[in-house]
Amino acid sequence: MSSTTATPVEEHQAGDYKSELKPIWCPACGDYGVVQAIYRALAKVGRPPHEIAFVSGIGCSSRIPGYTSAYGFNSVHGRALPIAQGIKLANQHLLVLVAGGDGDAFAIGGGHVAHAIRRNVDLTYIVMDNQIYGLTKGQVSPTSPRGLKSASSPLGSLEEPLNPLLYVLGYGCSYVAQGTPANMPGLAAVIEEGIRFPGFAFINVRSPCVTYGRPEQSLKAHKATMEALTDLKHDASDRMKAMALASEYGTKLYTGVFYRNPEPPPTYGAATHERQEQMKGSALPRKRILETFRSR
Amino acid sequence: MSSDLIIGMAGSGGDGIVSAGDAFMTAAGLRGYHALLTKSFGPQIRGGESSCRLRLCTEPILSTGGAIDIAVALNWEDFLKFGGELPVGGATTVVYDSRTGVAPDHLPLPGVRPREVISLPIGEMAKEAAGTERAKNLVVLGLLSGWTGLDRELIVEGLRKRFGKKGPEVVAGNEQAFAAGVQWALDHPLTQPRTLDPPTGPGKDKITVDGNEICAAAALFADCEFFSGYPITPSSEIMHFLGREIWKYGGTMVQAEDEIAGVGQAVGASFAGKKAMTATSGPGMSLKTEMLGLASIAELPLVCVNVQRGGPSTGIPTKSEQADLFQACFSAHGDVVRPVLSPISVKDTFFLTVEAFNIAEQYQTPVILLSDQEIAQRKETLILPDTSGLEVVERRRPTEAELEDYQRFRHTESLVSPISHPGMPGGNYLASGIEHTESGAPTASGEAHARMNEKRIHKLDPLKHRRDLFLMEGDEKAPLALVAWGSVAGVVREAFRSALEEGLQVKLLVPKLLYPVAEEIYEEFFHWVQAGLVVEQSHQGQLYRVIRMFVDLPANVWPFKRSGSNPILPPAVLGRLERLALELQQRQAPETQQADG
Repeated sequence: MSSTTATPVEEHQAGDYKSELKPIWCPACGDYGVVQAIYRALAKVGRPPHEIAFVSGIGCSSRIPGYTSAYGFNSVHGRALPIAQGIKLANQHLLVLVAGGDGDAFAIGGGHVAHAIRRNVDLTYIVMDNQIYGLTKGQVSPTSPRGLKSASSPLGSLEEPLNPLLYVLGYGCSYVAQGTPANMPGLAAVIEEGIRFPGFAFINVRSPCVTYGRPEQSLKAHKATMEALTDLKHDASDRMKAMALASEYGTKLYTGVFYRNPEPPPTYGAATHERQEQMKGSALPRKRILETFRSR
Repeated sequence: MSSDLIIGMAGSGGDGIVSAGDAFMTAAGLRGYHALLTKSFGPQIRGGESSCRLRLCTEPILSTGGAIDIAVALNWEDFLKFGGELPVGGATTVVYDSRTGVAPDHLPLPGVRPREVISLPIGEMAKEAAGTERAKNLVVLGLLSGWTGLDRELIVEGLRKRFGKKGPEVVAGNEQAFAAGVQWALDHPLTQPRTLDPPTGPGKDKITVDGNEICAAAALFADCEFFSGYPITPSSEIMHFLGREIWKYGGTMVQAEDEIAGVGQAVGASFAGKKAMTATSGPGMSLKTEMLGLASIAELPLVCVNVQRGGPSTGIPTKSEQADLFQACFSAHGDVVRPVLSPISVKDTFFLTVEAFNIAEQYQTPVILLSDQEIAQRKETLILPDTSGLEVVERRRPTEAELEDYQRFRHTESLVSPISHPGMPGGNYLASGIEHTESGAPTASGEAHARMNEKRIHKLDPLKHRRDLFLMEGDEKAPLALVAWGSVAGVVREAFRSALEEGLQVKLLVPKLLYPVAEEIYEEFFHWVQAGLVVEQSHQGQLYRVIRMFVDLPANVWPFKRSGSNPILPPAVLGRLERLALELQQRQAPETQQADG
């Protein structure tokens, strides 16, 4: 069951999804663009805010749920995905969004990503990948390039960056896209499609850090270097081609859908629902549960 | 004749000694006896040593008891590995397989001369009767049936149910081995008869269940709809049961990728408005700690079960200990109070698990149910508990009026705020681990933080007056006191009864709410006390120390403690109490003389 079909779609404006809290990111932070793109995508999908749960961990980008009018959960570092899965499996009618940064997703919370993917819980995971730890004032992140000089690597980082796109493709994620606030319509479009996609959807957003980021990460630089995958005539149903393009993370900035599984596996929610239906009616009433243990 | 019989048996894994205990227990339960079975294994997953301890009683059973009455050793090497768990005393009847080559007057039991020692060819008898030595446990079952007089028909009927699937040949072989055991016992009556007194209880409406399973069932009784956890000994049976049963009630069970995800998913489900539980043991509890803090600050109901085992770290996964109390009470950063409940028996686990859900829902807090391996994995036959008066509490939802200008963390008179959930129009709010205002907006204000701490901590104050979560027995003004918790409480209750029979003036307190510490209840209890023991299975005596953080205990109240894996037995508690009584008498004697003079 896709989360977009539970309630009849209503007319909504992007502003309906904005909360009263004023964002407190650095001026010109890429995340301002991301939250705008999310408002636009949500307005297109049209689910009322109270049917949306928006979960995050910790990091600059994890403030996002508070800036939306949905039910939000700004949880603990790295654990947005387990919490979001619990929400979705407890109430499958909800539209559940998850947001976080590259540290949240691929360092402290990296172990959860694979399992959310293999369960195929119907979530949309938006990672604001700025290749740096901004909230803690500029340490290397798992996607920082080798050699990066930062607060925690004053002599240069000694580690290879992790490739978020290959990471999720490798675990079998059925919807993998990338965007940048340098292209707002394109970003809103991949988020909207991710929300509508029946299953776990991953969107890597190259959201520049204006305080600790490198010059080549600025929105201006993005505008000059980004290439739309549609312009390359990429066939998004081809997982191997998607992986080949994804391998260029770090050197090329592709935007759009890398992979869209034409035959996605059943969602975890659909599977649990089916099991509940099968087992229904074979139970003692809850109040007589102890009779399950009758001596025999 | 015997109204209280303890049988201890040990063999190699695969000898089926535990399954023999199980079969004997079920039959005894159906006959109307009370029965309690503990199993103990070596660290091996298959093979290795295994043992069980079965207690049969005409009265309700409080603990596994002291020294065993009948010891059965299929081989001595395995039997001796369970030293403290299968204590042989002077009154024990020892039965063993003669193939072990041990002479009856040279048992490998230093310092003990059992009353009666019987050596017989158990393995050979099995082979002769059933064609396979694998039926050794059936011979043992027959011996026990013969000597105790427990209905053979009931046991045979149970065997048919148990082994029916394995085909008629196996069933027939087993019955022949059983019959051979019975016949041998009848031909060789014991010098100290072990015939059971007639049962006093009903055989109908009995259940046979262990602490983990009844905990899982209680969760379903309390309308739990979501469970997520990670496999860990000795708590996994909770997950196993819910993995079978929760679907029938429209719920969901997830085996999470790790302990953190297990509790995280439960937190998410609770946020989504469903009753949720996770379960684990010590190491898993360490991993869940951060997420419990989140549930506290986000004020989300959650039940987290910790079935204690030997620690720290991996410790002794298969043995019981009561050393996670400090962790349950204090393993949190920041000013946090979360309720800690501890059941004292299998039956109590049911009621306390429902209570854990009720408290979690009523006060919007994580609740730790601190069980232990001993209770969690021991089986008891019980008369089907009456649950008709048992209430199930739901969290307080906002009314239409409250949703008009909804503030999720509003300061109310009770300090508990109405809680909405995603899907509820008008209830939208931001749950967060960051400090927040009444509306849920993040804040770094010291005033707001102080007020929220006040709210989160003091909303739990009414719990400190829950006298129903404390078991108190004995004369209010008795000068001697016994205090115990968890599985050890049963042992201490038994020692307490013996002490009363001996004429000691003693009272008993068993707290089932361990945290927050109910100062008034303890102060009242200790008011007349001049000497006492806090009995527990941990090296530090953790409850003793936790109580002392909040309550001034009278002089001469001491911890009586030992590390886990070593069971505490009723005679040891009684002996220590007797010495305490004597010391008290000696202290008082000079005063009395003075007064007289």
